[in-house]
Parts: sequence; C-alpha cells; structure tokens
Amino acid sequence: MPGYLLRRLAAAALLLWLVLTATFVLLRLVPGDPASSIAELPIPKAAKEKLIHAQGLDRPLPEQYARWLGAVALHGDWGFSFAQLRPVRTIVAEALPATLLLAGAALLIEYGLGTALGVAAARRSASALDKSIRVVTLLLYSQPVFWLGLMAILLFSGRLGWLPASHMHSVGADEMGRGAWLADLGKHLLLPAMTLGLAQAGGAARFVRAGLLDVMGRDYIRTARAKGLSERRVIWVHGMRAALVPIIQLLALSVPSLLSGALITEVVFAWPGLGRITWEAILARDSPVLLATTGVSAVLVVGSYLVADLLHAAADPRVRDA
Amino acid sequence: MRLPFARPSRFPSRLLLLLSLWMAAALAGGGCDGGHQAGASHAAQGPRAGDAHAGAAGTPAPRRGGTIVTGWNAEPQGVNEFLVAATNAGQEMLFQLFPRLLREEPDFERHPPTFSPALARSYEWSADHKTLTFHLREDARWSDGVPVTADDVRWTWQAQVSPEVAWESSYMKDEIADVEAVDAHTVRVRWKRVYAKQLLDVNEGGILPRHAWGQIPFSRWRQSGEWFKQHLVVDGPFTIGSWKPQQEVVLVRNPSFYEADRPRLDRVVMRIIPDQASILTQLDSGELDFTPAISPHDAPQVTANPRLRLLAFPYRSWIALAWNGSRQPFGDPEVRRALGMALDRRAIVETIWGKFARVSESPILSVIWAYDRALRPLPYDPSEARRILAAKGFAAGADGVLRRGGKPFAFELSTNAGNQQRVDSLVMIQEQLRRIGVRAEPRQVEFNSLMARVSAGDFDGCVVGNSMDTSLDLTAFFHSRAIAKGTNVTRYSNPEVDRLIDHAMSLPEIALARPDLDRIQEILHRDQPYTYLWESQRVSAFNRRLHGVEPSMLFSTYNLKDWWVEPQRH
Repeated sequence: MPGYLLRRLAAAALLLWLVLTATFVLLRLVPGDPASSIAELPIPKAAKEKLIHAQGLDRPLPEQYARWLGAVALHGDWGFSFAQLRPVRTIVAEALPATLLLAGAALLIEYGLGTALGVAAARRSASALDKSIRVVTLLLYSQPVFWLGLMAILLFSGRLGWLPASHMHSVGADEMGRGAWLADLGKHLLLPAMTLGLAQAGGAARFVRAGLLDVMGRDYIRTARAKGLSERRVIWVHGMRAALVPIIQLLALSVPSLLSGALITEVVFAWPGLGRITWEAILARDSPVLLATTGVSAVLVVGSYLVADLLHAAADPRVRDA
Repeated sequence: MRLPFARPSRFPSRLLLLLSLWMAAALAGGGCDGGHQAGASHAAQGPRAGDAHAGAAGTPAPRRGGTIVTGWNAEPQGVNEFLVAATNAGQEMLFQLFPRLLREEPDFERHPPTFSPALARSYEWSADHKTLTFHLREDARWSDGVPVTADDVRWTWQAQVSPEVAWESSYMKDEIADVEAVDAHTVRVRWKRVYAKQLLDVNEGGILPRHAWGQIPFSRWRQSGEWFKQHLVVDGPFTIGSWKPQQEVVLVRNPSFYEADRPRLDRVVMRIIPDQASILTQLDSGELDFTPAISPHDAPQVTANPRLRLLAFPYRSWIALAWNGSRQPFGDPEVRRALGMALDRRAIVETIWGKFARVSESPILSVIWAYDRALRPLPYDPSEARRILAAKGFAAGADGVLRRGGKPFAFELSTNAGNQQRVDSLVMIQEQLRRIGVRAEPRQVEFNSLMARVSAGDFDGCVVGNSMDTSLDLTAFFHSRAIAKGTNVTRYSNPEVDRLIDHAMSLPEIALARPDLDRIQEILHRDQPYTYLWESQRVSAFNRRLHGVEPSMLFSTYNLKDWWVEPQRH
C-alpha cells in the first residue's frame, strides 16, 4: 500500500504541475495578458513601465513562470490581483468556503436523491416506475445547469415566492440571531444546491440502479433472502454495500462537474464562490485570480481522484497490487 | 471619450470608457456655464433635483429615512477612484462618497452643461482664462469631523498626476500647470494654455482626504487597495456601512454631509447580481427597488407589473459601422455613402431596439445642444446605391455579386461577440447589402481580439460602439493624428476636419465652437467614415414606492441624495 500511495501521490503532483503550467502559458498567450492590459492604459509611458516592472511582467517569461510557481508551491502565494488591488490569496480564501458549502449541499442532493431513485428503480426493474424514473433522471441529466437555474428562479422565486433568487443571505441578515441566520442561509442555499445537485442526481440514480441490479442476482443476496431478512435490509445493507465501491468512484468523478457547474450556478444565483470570482476575473482580465481559481479547482479535482483511488484500493486489493 | 466595443451588458461607465485603448483624447469636456464672461464670478446654480416631485399634485410629500435595495451586475472594485478600473457600480458608488468641486448638470440639450455647487460654492476665471479660482464651502467636513480644505484639493491633484498612482484619467490634468491652496478654502488652478474643456478637466475626479489617506505614500497606493477600504473617510452624502465581497455593499447616510437635509434615505443596499434574469425576477417580486439598466427586450415585463416604473434617458453612445478607409474600396467616400444608402437603418433600429433608440446621423448625439439639426438623414435608397457603385466600376456577375476588375465585392463584417444587439445588426446588414450585390461575411470576434485587430487596422467593416459626452472632443475619432494612436479606427484623414477640431478645442468655451462643430458634422456626414446606425437610451427600472429618481447621462444615481421612499407595504 505505501508504494501504491507514493505512486498515486507522484502522479497527482505531476498532473497538478501540468495543469498549472498549461494555464500559465495559455493566459500569457491569449490577447489581454497582464502586460498588454497595462500597456493599454491611457497613462504616461513611464507610469506603464513602472507598473509593469513592479509586477515583474518585464522579465523573461520563463523567469516569470519560475517565480510564480515557486511562490505558489513554497508559500501558497498566488500573487496580487490587478483588478481588486489585494492579494489573490485573500480573494480565494473568501470564496472557497461558499463553494465548498454549495458543492457539499449539491453532493448531498445528488447522492441522497440519486440513491433513493436508483434503489426504487432497481427494486421495480422494468416496471412503469422504473421507466418513469429513467425518463425523469435522463431529463434532469440532460438539462444545462444555467437553464435549470433560471427555471428554478422563475418558478420558486418569481412565481411562488418561496425561495430567494440570489445571494447567501437576505438584506440585514447580520442583525438576525444565530438560528435565524442559519435558517436564512439554508433558504438561500436550497435553490442553487438543487440546481447543481439535481442534474447530477440523474447520473447517480442510473449508477446506483445499475450497481444494485448487478449484485441483486448474486448468491449472497439469495442467501440473505432465504434467511428471512426483510427486503429493505437485503437491499440497503447487503446490496448497497456491494454497490458502494463504484458509487464512491462516481463521487470523485462528480467533483469536476460540480466545480464547472458551480461557475454557472454561482453566477446565476449570485453565490460568492470560486466560480463567481473566476467569472469576474475573466471579465476583468485578472489573470492572477484566474490562475489561482484554476489551480485551486485542479487541487480539488486531483485530490478527489486521489482519495477515490485510495478508497478503491483499500476496498479492492487487486487494484493496489496491479 | 470613446469605446468602440462596449463590453457585453456591463461597464458602460464613464471612466471605463476612458480606460479603453481607444481613448486617446480628453473625456469629459467642454461645457462651462453658458454665456459667462471672463473675470465674472459664478455662484453655480442648478435646480434642486428631486424637489420637483415634492408637493406635486397627487404625489406624497418627501420623507426622510428608509432603506432601498438596488441591483447591479458588477461589484465596485475599491474606494480609491484613482486606482480601480471603472465599473458602472463602482463609479456610481464613488460619486456618492466623494463629491467633486462642481456638479455637472444634465442640462446639455440646449446649451453646454451648467455646473452647480458641490464642494466649491463658487468659482471665477481670470481675464486670460488661464486661472480659475474655486471658493470651497466652509461647512464641508470629512466623516471623521476634519474640515475639507484647499489642501485636500491640491493633494488630490498631486495624486491624480502622480506616475506612481497611474490614474487612468490623469491625461485630463496634463494641461494644468499648478493647483495652489491660497487659503484654507480658496484654490487657484493655473493652466498651461486655454482650451474648451478646462472646467470639465479640472472637475474630473472626487476630492480625497489628505489627512487620512496621505499616510500612505503614492508609491504604495497600488498595493493598498484594502487599506483604503479599511480607512475610509468620506465627505459625500453616503458612506459605506458594510461590504460583503461578491454580495453587497451597504451605503449608509453620512451624518457629516454638508447638506443637512440630505440624503433622505438611511441606507442604500447595492446587491451584486451578475445575471440579468435574476435582477428582473427580484425587481418583479419586490426584492429590488431599483436597477440602473435593463435590456429593451425586458421592458414589457417591467411595464406589465403595476408596481414598477421604467425611466428611459439618453445614453452617451453611438453605434456605427466603421469602414476601414485604408482598404479599398472603403477608402472611397462615395462607395461608403453607397453602402450606407443600401441600409434600411430605421428597420434595423426598430427591430433591435423598439422605441428605445433612434437612427443616428452624427457622432454628436442628437440630445446634445451641438447636434447639427440641419443634417439630412442619409436616405435608404438601394437604387441610388447601385447607381453609385456602377459609376465606380462595379458590375454584377452571374451570381449577382458585384465585381470590379474580376474581383467580387466581398468583405468581412465583424463585431464583438456577446453584444446581442450588434450581432443581430450584422445579420440584417448582410441581408440588405446582399440585395445590392455586396457580399458581407458576418463574424463575431472576442472583445480583446477584436480591439487589437481594429486598432491595428486589420478589418474591413466593423460595428462598433463609441461614446460621446458633453466635451464634444472629436479628436480621438476623426483627427488624423489619432490614426497612429489607433483610436481613429477608420483611418479618416481630412485636413479641414483636423483644423476645425483643433480650433474648436482651443476656444475658451465650447459654446463658441458651434460653427466649427456644425461644419465638422456636415463634412463627416458627406464623407461617411462611419455609417451611423443608432443612438440608444438607457432604461432604468424601479419600484413606484421610490420617488425623486432623475438619472442623468453621467450617472443613473446622479441625484441619489434626493431619492426618498414610501414605507414598504405588507
């Protein structure tokens, strides 16, 4: 296991380096790189040169890259935002908790609802219920997140007035007591988390159904039934345990789609997370922030894959011995 | 001031336009008190905005207090105007925190804009019009109780021109030789030369607190964005109560503001909502009281709600089809004129904007006093267009496409991706040109790439958006010396226009430049370096419980201090 762990860690580090390097190079190649943004300002040439020099943008690209990578790797310093005039680390630190909260809630919806639908479909395989669930899950899965978000806002906020359309809190939430403040947060979280989680739940349901159907015909399930265990216990304890390994892997695979979905969801719902600051950075051509959000997202994705691999290896010795 | 490609649905503010690569010449310009004489003293006066509503029949009397929630699609980027790139929300917010010496009034329709008192209660010109003396209000105080003095004004000017601060509008101060604090409440400004935009240039930018922000040397300002926020001291009607990144900025009444009975509102919550559909939904449901700009296509949704009101007001942009005069056949004014006559501009504008835009004929907006009303609209006349092109040697080939010397009349017609109105116009222009045998190939290009290409002259025809304010300075668009700077994108060069622009801008008052401006418009209308398409209005939407809202071309919350609100009905 230690050898496997080391191999996986080395692969993850290599992957991260590649992502960061590719992002750095791409952002310097596209129109609107930091130096040309400063060069476009209607200020005296000397002032432009001073700004460019202060940011280290007049140094050769390899040197800029080495300095940037060194600062990130050694100090976690992602640089300084040209647009917001404050350290990128502060900007990301403010946004990360909101994205984690949203992604966590979306994961709960994805797997809570996905598992319930998947189990129901597997229990009544080929029935009308199974077919209905298939249609619903496929519909959910095929909806673009931005469309789902807008429809949710129109229905639950615009028409019914049940839920707020945007933000993490109501106006004046700071004056609420702790309980009311948390309830207010929950109310604001529901629509974006549903938007993000529901689309993914369709995929999770299909996965759970397939996993369960795969194990439900096996001997140990027949034995469990023969012992007189209730059907609920057979499915949830014996069936789901065996179907869990691929679901854990699916969990890791969900992270990239959650993060990419969060970019759109956070913009639609004005949720102050990583996706939102990425969007703002694109509009402001704020490449240090873009590099940081891409890097942090890459860490989250690679980290989740790593955890899934390790869990998989722990559950299935054949993987780590391969 | 100009921006050939306004970013999609955001950043229409004055200073962002300045930020653009396309801006080489002065922005705010040219108006000063109509008809005043050198040496005369000006106790600038303007109507008290918002008061017009008070006591009017059927209108409730203004009340003090209350909170309103406003929706903006971008967050202000800081509190120091000289450091941050301008966003619409940011400029509107800073206008409430840091008053300027004078307030430019939106009364530009019949004469150059007048100026009303702000931090300066009056001003007077020297006989040679090179020196301007401001008399500051004695009752103006910063929010920490320290008086606002001439020293603040002088120090602010030093910050504005400091290369270390690198303010994007610093060029507006290029002609100012010195700003002297004569005494605590008297400021004397000296210029190197006389020109039309002196008052607008000196008035650009809020006055900042030296005693508070002077603690940091200019060399460290660009690393101190957060520091300024944490050490905020203001002298405007509002200050910042709280700021949650990406969420909201809460403006609260500044009790030290020099007008004791203003602002009327206690709090103005600026909610940051990037998605326009979400803004509309919240406006509809009553969560938002005001939003500065909605799309004309959303107007019916707003008017359908009896609780909401629309307010359309002039905006400072004109949209036009720029022809690259350095490429043939677009270098020929008659060909450009023929192409313009092939376009049914009225149909294009009505389809895209409905009633919220009008066909434009000049780079000077039709709502501005200097617009030449004698200009005859370029007619929609495809037959005449065909005749002109035939006279120029173009003949239709077997496929119906015009050819000259065996070469088809085909060109690339571009605009910036993401601006739906301009993208829609490309399709209509393509179809209308096809009818006279000209093949236009529409192409949407990413904003920055297109800016780079157009600036470098690498285009044929391009639908662009330019901004024109009351300065009426046409140098950046049409002067031949702006070709090298990349702002005269059509490469238009006409010695007479150069001379007229220089003369107009050298006069002590823009009002005196009327003959020059009329002649320039006449020549440009004849030469058609651009085929002018439309000038649009901006449409604000707000809840009817909100009163006194009077947006101007400069700021949609221009008179925010006068707004008042009826209590929320439950």
